[in-house]
Amino acid sequence: MYKYDHIDQTLVNQRVAQFRDQVARRLNGSLKEEEFRPLRLQNGLYHQRHAYMLRVAIPYGLFNSQQLRTMALIAEKYDRGYGHFTTRQNIQYNWVTLEDTPDILAELAKVEMHAIQTSGNCIRNITSDAFAGVAGDEYVDPRPVCELLRQWSTLHPEFAHLPRKFKFAINGAKEDRTILLCHDVGIELKKDSQGELVADIYAGGGMGRTPILGSLIKQALPWQLLPSYLTALLRVYNRFGRRDNLYKARIKILVKALGPEEFARQVEGEWLHIKNGDDNFTQAEWNRVAKHFTKPVYKSLSKLSHEALINLASETDKTAFSRWLERNVKDHQVPGYASVILSLKPHGTVAPGDATTAQMRAIADLADQYSFGELRATHEQNLVLADVEQARLHELWQEAKKQKVALPNVGLLTDIIACPGGDFCSLANAKSLPIAKAIQERFDDLDYLFDLGDISLNISGCINSCGHHHVGNIGVLGVDKDGEEWYQITLGGEQGNDAAIGKVIGPSFYADEIPDVITNVINTYVKERTEDESFISAYRRLGVTPFKDAAYKNAKKKEKAASAGEAS
Amino acid sequence: MSLTTNIIAAHDQVLHFPKDGKPSLAPNEWLIWSGDQDKSEDEGGLPDLEHGAHKVLVPFTWWLSQINSHHHEADIQAKAKNGQIGVWFAADDDILKHADVIEAGKKVWSLVAAHFPIFRDGRSFSTTALLRNRFAWQGEIRAIGDVLIDQLLQGARVGFDSFALRPDQNLDVALKQFDLYTVTTQNSWRDKRSTVSA
Repeated sequence: MYKYDHIDQTLVNQRVAQFRDQVARRLNGSLKEEEFRPLRLQNGLYHQRHAYMLRVAIPYGLFNSQQLRTMALIAEKYDRGYGHFTTRQNIQYNWVTLEDTPDILAELAKVEMHAIQTSGNCIRNITSDAFAGVAGDEYVDPRPVCELLRQWSTLHPEFAHLPRKFKFAINGAKEDRTILLCHDVGIELKKDSQGELVADIYAGGGMGRTPILGSLIKQALPWQLLPSYLTALLRVYNRFGRRDNLYKARIKILVKALGPEEFARQVEGEWLHIKNGDDNFTQAEWNRVAKHFTKPVYKSLSKLSHEALINLASETDKTAFSRWLERNVKDHQVPGYASVILSLKPHGTVAPGDATTAQMRAIADLADQYSFGELRATHEQNLVLADVEQARLHELWQEAKKQKVALPNVGLLTDIIACPGGDFCSLANAKSLPIAKAIQERFDDLDYLFDLGDISLNISGCINSCGHHHVGNIGVLGVDKDGEEWYQITLGGEQGNDAAIGKVIGPSFYADEIPDVITNVINTYVKERTEDESFISAYRRLGVTPFKDAAYKNAKKKEKAASAGEAS
Repeated sequence: MSLTTNIIAAHDQVLHFPKDGKPSLAPNEWLIWSGDQDKSEDEGGLPDLEHGAHKVLVPFTWWLSQINSHHHEADIQAKAKNGQIGVWFAADDDILKHADVIEAGKKVWSLVAAHFPIFRDGRSFSTTALLRNRFAWQGEIRAIGDVLIDQLLQGARVGFDSFALRPDQNLDVALKQFDLYTVTTQNSWRDKRSTVSA
């Protein structure tokens, strides 16, 4: 993975010093909270319900065992013994103090980590495919471009105070695992007919209050020209994005108002003046960065058959192990290797995506023993060991079980994506975690979960949509009505190549109704499905009506919900 | 005289940070005029430059209205050439729509400024980047309005070389902002991105 040179290291160290001074000025009162707020947000520091929350970047999801040990140390020393992996390849600490933050950042800087631009109205941490460089369906390894753009966007002066936050996602595989179209800018990398690396640019996607899928505004942009093109794009947004209304300030509103064609035309007009400038990337820069993304030293192995793999387990373990192979192990580009997803979604415990200090340390050891010391964070809030020898999968499975990260529920109903919600977040209208827990407890039967197959269920505690509810096959959104917590259900959302925004089915429910509502929706699917038909396929064939009827059949508080109206 | 109501700011000192130079404080000579016109005033409400302060920054929109009216154009052009009038751009002024006026202004304005209605509004960063890159403006560009210590570095990099800070800002702390970083990972008006020597 990428290794800092002295420029990267110097910049991160100097950022720590700058923030230390900003914090000191806040603490001595010379910097008012209102004016400190954007400064701390641009360094990942939120003020939450109970304490400060620090969001640390895991650029494009890639990290190593040493970094994970530092994450564990921070959880132990400065927090309450755990960290929360987020939907945008960050890790969050929920219980830090303002006074400690500069020291935490200094600890992070020692292992080439930072919290730069993990929040605020700037270019955020760039996300990508958690399986970059190893996925069987990859056209182009996106990591060099991710790293080049990480550097380009870091402390970019012109775009430090955009109208609103700005998120990039970058994909280079056949299957999209980045929710590319739900980003302010989505960059799809491919090779053109001459074999040159080019990018298709999608703009104006986003979730939040007005979920919109991004529009293709530029095709086959040579990779070298990304800085000048993105400068032009961001300049148009910085100058003309709305600043009068927080809820209409994202680029998606500008793109929608102008129309994608007109937006693209304006970007092109700006770009004409700068496309030949020296902002663009050079081959030397590519070489400097790309040399870090070479393949690890794989052994020459032959691919093991499924049967051979299962035979690694004892008779009593075979069923459980094969379930794990089916759900949590993914194909690899190199024969004899596989990628393993460690599930951070144990049933009915704390928060999806949480890992304790002890788990983090143990997982760091697993990375060293089984996967060249490297890890990835997925946007579904799980962790990946990307380069595991197939012959050692059974051994790894047994180790992972000890750490309670081997539940074979990846992609199943209980692999819930959820934001921290009202238990922690001061933006939230409602709690997310108890809902996730209640659903996991209701569907705690693995046989049944396997029978249901692929279903995504995503929960957001407010319309900011950190829990990605819009793209869940089943989405749950916390809403506030007259000071009470209600939950709105959407159906039909989808991530990946067939990305779709879910539709609201009707009035909201009370929290205690949600497990029954989900059960009724699932029962409808089970009753109506044809053989091997997934939930989302059945939904697309049948439409919303049978699911909606089922969802409301026992809604005891339906009338009250209806009278309270829809979420604003 | 309308100085009391229509002058946005009259700083005692401004922070200068020339390209390839060092940051320093210097006495300020420029009033910033709001452009609000009293009916009793001549010359479209322009502050009295003979008897009051000698130099004034006028809103770009006011400049546009004057050169379009032709009534006072010769006079304000003369004052500008004489170094008494510069213009300031509001955050929502679309300078690219008036490229001809900016090009002509390059010959007469001794100072231009870009305004921050609130510190977290970054539009003037792009305005200034365009003035430097597109219009090749070589003269001074001043940051005015809600200019705080923690914007200085970004401002200096996009192309500002003087800063009229909000009066409550500590100028000693402000002067220390410019050497916080010795490296950069993207090009700006001041520096090219740092490179690793082979």
